[in-house]
Amino acid sequence: MAKETGENPLTALSEAMVAAVASAGAATLTVDARRRFPASGIAFAADLVLTADHVVEREEDIAVGLPSGDQVAASLAGRDPGSDLALLRLEKTVAAPAKPATGEARVGQLVLALGRPTSKGIQASLGVVSAIGGPIRTGRGGLLERYLRTDAILYPGFSGGPLVDTSGLVVGLNTSGLARGTALSIPASLAWQVAQALAEHGHIKRGYLGVRSQPVELSAAQQRTLGREQAGGLLLVGVEEGSPAEGGGLLVGDIIVAIDGQPVSDPDELVASLTGERIGQPTPIQVIRAGQVVTQPVRIGERRS
Amino acid sequence: MTASMILSAWFTDSLDEVVRRVQRSLAVVQDGRRGGGAGVVWRPGGYIVTNYHVVAHIRPQRVVLGERSLPVRLVAQEPAFDLALLQADDPNLPVALVADTHDLRVGQIVLAVGHPWGQRGAVSMGIISSLGEAVTIRRPPGWRGNGWRRSLSAGQTESVPIIRTDAALAPGNSGGPLVNAVGGVIGINTLIVGGDQGVAIPSQVVNAFVDQRLPRPVRESFV
Repeated sequence: MAKETGENPLTALSEAMVAAVASAGAATLTVDARRRFPASGIAFAADLVLTADHVVEREEDIAVGLPSGDQVAASLAGRDPGSDLALLRLEKTVAAPAKPATGEARVGQLVLALGRPTSKGIQASLGVVSAIGGPIRTGRGGLLERYLRTDAILYPGFSGGPLVDTSGLVVGLNTSGLARGTALSIPASLAWQVAQALAEHGHIKRGYLGVRSQPVELSAAQQRTLGREQAGGLLLVGVEEGSPAEGGGLLVGDIIVAIDGQPVSDPDELVASLTGERIGQPTPIQVIRAGQVVTQPVRIGERRS
Repeated sequence: MTASMILSAWFTDSLDEVVRRVQRSLAVVQDGRRGGGAGVVWRPGGYIVTNYHVVAHIRPQRVVLGERSLPVRLVAQEPAFDLALLQADDPNLPVALVADTHDLRVGQIVLAVGHPWGQRGAVSMGIISSLGEAVTIRRPPGWRGNGWRRSLSAGQTESVPIIRTDAALAPGNSGGPLVNAVGGVIGINTLIVGGDQGVAIPSQVVNAFVDQRLPRPVRESFV
């Protein structure tokens, strides 16, 4: 039988990984809410489980598996398909909440991906944070401000489970449902914000303007008129009837160049600027119209999904 | 040198030491064609453990340890657990450090050592991804084939504990050791699932197989 041949950094690292899996694994649960095999989820509070929206195919008859092997019935507390996050409410308070990491993830940082797709114990894989990117369009009508990529293997059923650091603190939520099947992780800070909002409102409030636009270059003359260097703006090619944009006096042919003082030159920036807090607020929108710079106050509406 | 540079140098030295320790007891089991698989010197007396599937369709004549090529004979095989026991013609081969595998934990650092794609003594690192069981079929004597594959032919199903790892495995790792952070062998690498998950048979299963099949020392009895 092998004897421990004294402390070496490899055994120390090994022990640290085991401890991280044990501590984060206690908050990694099974989410059984789809026809295929179950996926994973993260205990957000004693009775709330955060998971990937795409693994929640049914809103009733959801079962959550605990590390003990017991199953608890759960219902959908809220979902945000745009960021591929869903929050489940357990019928009783049972889960030990996961702890999010406080700092931001760094490229090269050692991480573990955890999942519990079966009742037969925790599963894990080791890797590093390979890249940090964003914002990206999620392909589900949303915009993800930041995302993480890892080379840790995400095994089947790992969607909804945590990416954790070597102390077992959650740095992200893993999902293969955001970017056409390629796996990425939603940073914990973003995931926790969304979870908080879902716990309070059941959905994520997003601002609504009611325009169709396309990015265009600004000519040197237009930039002179604007009084600043800005390479592009958003040409309005459609304004919906009865929309906040129409109510605020925006016209087809206007080029949006700034929202509330923040320059805007592509559609993603426009979407990102229409945050939930702006709903109902008159927001100054700067446009170039017939060679003149005009600022129209527009009362932002709420997007219905 | 900064503290982190000292740590990473120490880390590398430790890895190097562990790998060297493992490679001393690592054999190439040649099948005469593609380079075959790996094997581990498990017990004194030249006893080498490998996978059954490495030797299933050949009768290995020789193994290579370091620079030496040695004649070898097949002592025992167990298709159900995909294990085979060979004996090399040298009783003094360096025996691997075999770890106790009753208290394995998910997250433990592991190294797989073998000959992936024929690259001798190559090392890959990962962790224990999960601990589970696999269903295997114990075949009647004389049955030839792979013990893992389900088929309608006769046999008794049986479950065997397995170690799953994210350490990269490839053909040529079969029969080679999966070791822990001190170089203790925790299992024999056996299978690749879904392209990215390795499966190893834990040392406790290998020990039971070897104990059962090794010739027992003759005991004198009182009459």
